[in-house]
Amino acid sequence: MKNIPISFLICCTCLFARAQDCSLTLKGHVEDSDTKDQLTGATVMIRSLNQEVTTDENGDFNFIKLCAGTYILEVTHVGCEPLTRQLNLTKNTHLDLLLPHLKNNLQEVIVSGTKRLTNTGFKQELAGARLEQASGMSLAEALAKLNGVTLLQTGSTISKPVIHGLHSNRILTINNGVRQEGQQWGNEHAPEIDPFIADKLVVIKGVDELRYGSDAIGGVILVDPKPLRYLPGTNAEINAVYFTNNNEYVASGVFEQQLKKQPSFSYRLQGTFKKGANVRTPGYRLNNTALQEENFSATAGWKREHYHLEAFYSQFHTKAGIFTGSHIGNLADLEKAISSSKPADIYLGDAGYEINRPNQEVSHRLFKLRSNIYKGAHKLQLILAAQYNQRKEYDIVRSNSNTKPQLNLSILTLTEDLSWEHPPVSNLKGTVGVSFMQQQNSYTGRYFIPHYISATYGGYWLEKWNKKRWDIQAGLRYDYKAFSTKRLRNSVLTEYKFDFSTLAASFNTAYKILPDMHVNINLSHATRAPHVNELLSDGIHHGTATYEQGDINLDPERSYNVSIGFDYANPGKTFTAELSLYNNYIADFIYQQPEPDEPVLTIAGAFPKIKYEQTNAVLRGIDAAFNYHFLKRLALSSKASVLRAYNRKIDDWLIMMPADRLSNELIYTFKGNTHISEPYIGIEYANVFKQSRVPGDKFGKQDYKEPPPAYNLVNLNAAITIRYGRYPITLGAGVHNMLNKSYREYLNSFRYYVDETGRNVQFRIKVGL
Amino acid sequence: MRSLLNKNSKKLIMKRNFLLMLFAASSILLLNSCDKEIAEEDNDGEVLTTLELHFTERGTQNSLIYKFDDPDGFGTGSVPPVIDLIRLLPNKVYDVELRLLNKTANPIEDVTAEVEEESADHRFYYLPATAGNIMVDNLDKAADGLPLGIKSTWTTGAKAAGTIRIVLRHYPNGGKATDDLVDSPKSGTDIDTEFATAVD
Repeated sequence: MKNIPISFLICCTCLFARAQDCSLTLKGHVEDSDTKDQLTGATVMIRSLNQEVTTDENGDFNFIKLCAGTYILEVTHVGCEPLTRQLNLTKNTHLDLLLPHLKNNLQEVIVSGTKRLTNTGFKQELAGARLEQASGMSLAEALAKLNGVTLLQTGSTISKPVIHGLHSNRILTINNGVRQEGQQWGNEHAPEIDPFIADKLVVIKGVDELRYGSDAIGGVILVDPKPLRYLPGTNAEINAVYFTNNNEYVASGVFEQQLKKQPSFSYRLQGTFKKGANVRTPGYRLNNTALQEENFSATAGWKREHYHLEAFYSQFHTKAGIFTGSHIGNLADLEKAISSSKPADIYLGDAGYEINRPNQEVSHRLFKLRSNIYKGAHKLQLILAAQYNQRKEYDIVRSNSNTKPQLNLSILTLTEDLSWEHPPVSNLKGTVGVSFMQQQNSYTGRYFIPHYISATYGGYWLEKWNKKRWDIQAGLRYDYKAFSTKRLRNSVLTEYKFDFSTLAASFNTAYKILPDMHVNINLSHATRAPHVNELLSDGIHHGTATYEQGDINLDPERSYNVSIGFDYANPGKTFTAELSLYNNYIADFIYQQPEPDEPVLTIAGAFPKIKYEQTNAVLRGIDAAFNYHFLKRLALSSKASVLRAYNRKIDDWLIMMPADRLSNELIYTFKGNTHISEPYIGIEYANVFKQSRVPGDKFGKQDYKEPPPAYNLVNLNAAITIRYGRYPITLGAGVHNMLNKSYREYLNSFRYYVDETGRNVQFRIKVGL
Repeated sequence: MRSLLNKNSKKLIMKRNFLLMLFAASSILLLNSCDKEIAEEDNDGEVLTTLELHFTERGTQNSLIYKFDDPDGFGTGSVPPVIDLIRLLPNKVYDVELRLLNKTANPIEDVTAEVEEESADHRFYYLPATAGNIMVDNLDKAADGLPLGIKSTWTTGAKAAGTIRIVLRHYPNGGKATDDLVDSPKSGTDIDTEFATAVD
């Protein structure tokens, strides 16, 4: 598959030979020029063809069926300086490429670019054509293209990622190297990140999690931009996307420049605008489901031989309507809404862009300063970051003259991370780091969580060793978190103080059975302190007509995870397969237990109570995927994801877990030429089973409605890259729910009221300038 | 040799400056996070704590007040609401006026006028149990002629015990019509309370 380049190195100024001999082969080998290591996982790209390959275990790569002509090769590897090489291809050629070791870059030690699970128990990456397919969608929707990742939704406008059944505070999202700290604790709190910032999205589990926290029970999501260019010149890219279902249009642009006169300085500007109207289900259009988003980011870097300084600022702002018929006054209203097959007509039929109450408006600002100092083989990195998140929720109010938000949360977070990568000792590489975080949360309006101030102190140590067929990694992390909360209500001040110590450790062994067959075993322990909402929430949730109550006596939850990964590719690479098995035992797992016998009486009627409780949970599952080119141009790509989640304490299933799912996609790749890269068209048949494993009613009613039935969707994806003059233009189209089927998804809280989105055709264009 | 030294010391100075800058930046950030005074919780009039029913026996000056009262709202540590028993005399006619209060506000906020102002989007329902021998009718109208129900007439029959449910519905998208039922999906619940009644 063609990928977006990891690094824009140069504008393509390729010349094309007229005489077409299009059967040439270009082979090569990539090495680190300093250490002479064979570089596995280096990306070799011919931009003019939009073709990209990754070097194998021996550092070798191979392009076939090239036409004669002049090409520019761009080679990137995570630990090395990027390299550009011009090549006049007239015959079959072999190239040896030496990449200088990157002195100033302290990137993650994880090797990105490898397409197989070679290093961690669970590592999945979304980049290139697959990331492009998600162009214009939300971060969570893009991540859901990965096997094992599903969505937790509140209607069509709010979605967050679920990894192996876990979400919210159990997943860490790392935005450009900084731990994202917003209000991610709620089910209707989506990640506040513009996916257009990312060049790739990576989900990791294992040793590298420990860099970011001891609480990544569900895994870590890395949102990685491409590195700044340090070759003179400019680069720009424009993306435009249109979705037919809700007349949504998205425009995003990026511009980067490196001046010849200032070889140390480089910068990038990026922005996105998005606006969508009300969403249509197959039967009706849902009023007040419009959304709007404006994002901006700027990056500037200063790079010298011994240090590298990078400043990054990003600003995210979204306003999302929430379907009016989902705002529930009390339990009777909810039951009435659930019993209707379709919402009342008054909430349907408007195709406009207007956003009324209820809605939410979220803004997130991040400023980051990263400095790397390089001394001999020592690498020192300091990241200072400040984040400010504001979340305003506008409920339906009794008084039309009320213009204020009913819930208004502001959170300021400061983080300081210092790490030292020691020089390699024989085959041992390692990193030691400390991190600090200060946080202040405040609110006005309706109470849901209190004011608080928190301070976290953490330290970690990771070591990685590899030799021949073995790759062994181990790491340890400890965090201490203290916070104090305040609430002033009816002139009574309520204060609490909490402190938690959390420990995490991970051990990973990978063994290469054959050059293209690996097995990987990972043992991980993580500890997550209860979040302030789990301790102290106290209020009515209007989406679910429940009264949510925290418990100040909760203990941290501790996970013990074993996962085994296996991957294989046949010698011709026409068949590749991945298998991942996991068993995650979580002691003192925090969850919401309905207490149907203790309703809370208010002037608006009685609300069922839901209380935070702890149990011992077991989440085990399988992710499997294979890709088989059974004909030269036709491939079958299949994936399956199965999860079983138990609540040990009541000896029953855990509520709100994703149903099993299966997807089969047939992809046909057309023949390309010098002007057109290999276009593809894929048709996907996705099956989602009914979630039949839900808790029974032995402790009272656990849910208002039985999980929805199974559904099958047909989706289409196609793209073509053509070269217009010196500009590559990618045109793409995607169809979601091609047969316009009515269905409901168990993990969408709107499944009580409305059907999911109907047919949605995406048209997209990407122009590189 | 000399120039080399200079170059090195320059580099050192630069590095030191650079580190100083970082520390300065971090300390400014840290200072900003100092504790702030916290404000009293305020939900600007969206909270309703009390529903009062003011009864005047027709043809007399006899008046009665019965209420649903939850002055500290709901939630952890709060006192449960107090709901009065509505005691009325048999075979009488009462003119009843309803009042809504927010007692968490200081001073206490009367929300009735606000509902009256937006009468096109609100409607009260009175749902007495038949066994209670209370009949409610003659609800006042909103500006557009549709039922509102801040004022009503209660007629009692023979001695009986029963209940009455009083509901305030709110139409966020308008569309109120005379024949809308209490559970019309066009409207949502603002108030839903049940009083025990005694005609004796």
